[in-house]
Amino acid sequence: MTFKTGLMAATALATLGAPAWAQEDTLDIVFINDGHVAPYHVAWLKGFEDAIEAYDEAFEDTEITGRWLSAEGSLEKMIQQTEVTINEGPDVMFVNAINVDAFEPLVAKAQEAGITWIAVHSPMESADYSFTLGDVVNGTNQGMAICALSGGEPYKVGVMLGQAGNPSGEARREGILKGIATCDNVEVVAEQPADWDTVKAQSIAENWLTQFEDLDAISGVTDAYMYPSIAIATNSGKDLDFFGYDGDIPILQQMKDGPVKADILLSGTREGWNFVQMAYRIHKGETPDKVYDFYTPLVMTEENHKIALENGFPEDVEVYYVDQALDVAANGYLEFGPDSVK
Amino acid sequence: MTMSTAAAPARPRRAMDSLTQRYLVLVGLIVIASVGFGIANENFYSLANIGILLRSIAVLFLVSMGMTFIMLTGGIDLSVGSNVAFAGGVGVIALTATDSAALGFVAAILAGMAIGAINGVFIGRLRLSAFMVTLATFALARGLALVIYDADSINVSNAAFLWLGGQSWGSLPVVIPFVALVFVALSVLLYRAPFGRDVYAAGSNFNTAFVLGRMPQRTLVWVYVLSGALAGLSAIITVGRVSSGQPWTGLYLEFDAITAVILGGTSLFGGRGRLLGTILGVLLYGIIINGLVLTGTNPYLQSLIKGLILLGVVLLDTLVQRRKAQ
Repeated sequence: MTFKTGLMAATALATLGAPAWAQEDTLDIVFINDGHVAPYHVAWLKGFEDAIEAYDEAFEDTEITGRWLSAEGSLEKMIQQTEVTINEGPDVMFVNAINVDAFEPLVAKAQEAGITWIAVHSPMESADYSFTLGDVVNGTNQGMAICALSGGEPYKVGVMLGQAGNPSGEARREGILKGIATCDNVEVVAEQPADWDTVKAQSIAENWLTQFEDLDAISGVTDAYMYPSIAIATNSGKDLDFFGYDGDIPILQQMKDGPVKADILLSGTREGWNFVQMAYRIHKGETPDKVYDFYTPLVMTEENHKIALENGFPEDVEVYYVDQALDVAANGYLEFGPDSVK
Repeated sequence: MTMSTAAAPARPRRAMDSLTQRYLVLVGLIVIASVGFGIANENFYSLANIGILLRSIAVLFLVSMGMTFIMLTGGIDLSVGSNVAFAGGVGVIALTATDSAALGFVAAILAGMAIGAINGVFIGRLRLSAFMVTLATFALARGLALVIYDADSINVSNAAFLWLGGQSWGSLPVVIPFVALVFVALSVLLYRAPFGRDVYAAGSNFNTAFVLGRMPQRTLVWVYVLSGALAGLSAIITVGRVSSGQPWTGLYLEFDAITAVILGGTSLFGGRGRLLGTILGVLLYGIIINGLVLTGTNPYLQSLIKGLILLGVVLLDTLVQRRKAQ
């Protein structure tokens, strides 16, 4: 009886204990985002969640967990979420700060607690790493695409900006204007911040179409502005070109025979997957560049790319054609999945 | 005469009873939420987390107390969040220009009071709608903040200016005893000073208060100025907390404050409510936010849960009021 009980206990322990021994290593990742207002964010967080699950399944020796939080644009809320998270002690924190200066004291606290702080989009000197988008370069590529696809005739464009003072939005604006400055036939007739807000973008597009009857194109620092702008132009029978920024799948789908001429392939899905890949690599002892630039090609149709090249668009700018862009935008694992680090 | 004398004592006792019931409900909810979150995550009761929780609601405490005064008069202040950003900007600019923390403090409080005075004069003296006036100053103050800051943050390193919002004694943020002192001072003002009686009178019946010579129009001006001063104090705390002046600080703060005040039992129509209820409302609100983050609740559900709790408490209150009326 004693032997039998002992055997049963040993079996039970072995059964229960085995997975625990197999997963001694843990990696807990938290992503705190400034808001959750655009289709890009939905794709971003979905990519992040999918990647956590895929990495956890793929690497049996490491238990990988993760969660995300959204501050809904409130600085105070984001600080509270960050303080609570630091107190919880995850391994890696990705923080897309509303304003990086406000988070300097918390970076120090996180590092004291042994947490790796990765500043998202806006680089921070004090952070362990910064995950940036190369916004000036991407914006410049968009601006040069506007020039190359404008046809050489006088061409009027309105540029929708981000929230005043937002570093990422300002960098994108700087890049777009820099790119447009490479030709002299494109005139920026209006610049207006839409605060990353689709509804505000709708009002701005309506005003522009009324105010500038000969407007040729709308450029935006996010694809969230493209949805209402395209709808308003279509409804009012205007034949406008659109130049987006984000790589949202519904916008990429409107490039083939549609009004969208170029887009920057960030893709929320890709970015979410890249976060988990980066965290895993750091956890395994790799040291990425302190300022890690997300790989972001420009997207055009093959036909438009040829036209652009003929009009002087630089050959060294990496361009994905629509099908390839749609593929990687929908399937983040293709570039950043577990296979990429095995 | 006899009739009015007989009816008078009964009215406040009924009001007290319903408020007491509300406070018991809030205390019950606070206990339930604390126990639930404590079971879900043992870290909830850690001193570090309690410190984080209290620090995170300090500003909400202050602006909600100001909002309580305003809502007791039957008004509302939608500009308070923008005013925190504006007052902070003025304070930080004054600090940068003079390198004097004292001048920075005074400038921030005066700036907050200035926006409050604009609200008060338009609402109290010119009898315009509080909703419309403060909606206008909501945009005005945010616009001024963006202009002052040039839409960018300003780093602050003056230790004296940062002390109130950033310093802790162990796990206890310095700001908590400060908020407690403000609460005591405002309680004295509301319950022991003639001004407090004027506030209740203005909210219960503006015309009657006017006829009785209580000058409710003047009371309204001072109530909004007080709310502005508290926004200025909140700005100082916020700057201390993030070691910088931020043009987008205080976003949606007015909605959190209104939520906390309503949770605390203050009537939207004025004349009924107490600061204690607001304190309990803020505490419940803070515990829920903290607990939802700590337990990793899906952010999609967080707003839903907050909304349901508010709706539930308001519904419960309405049912209790109706039953009493019957």
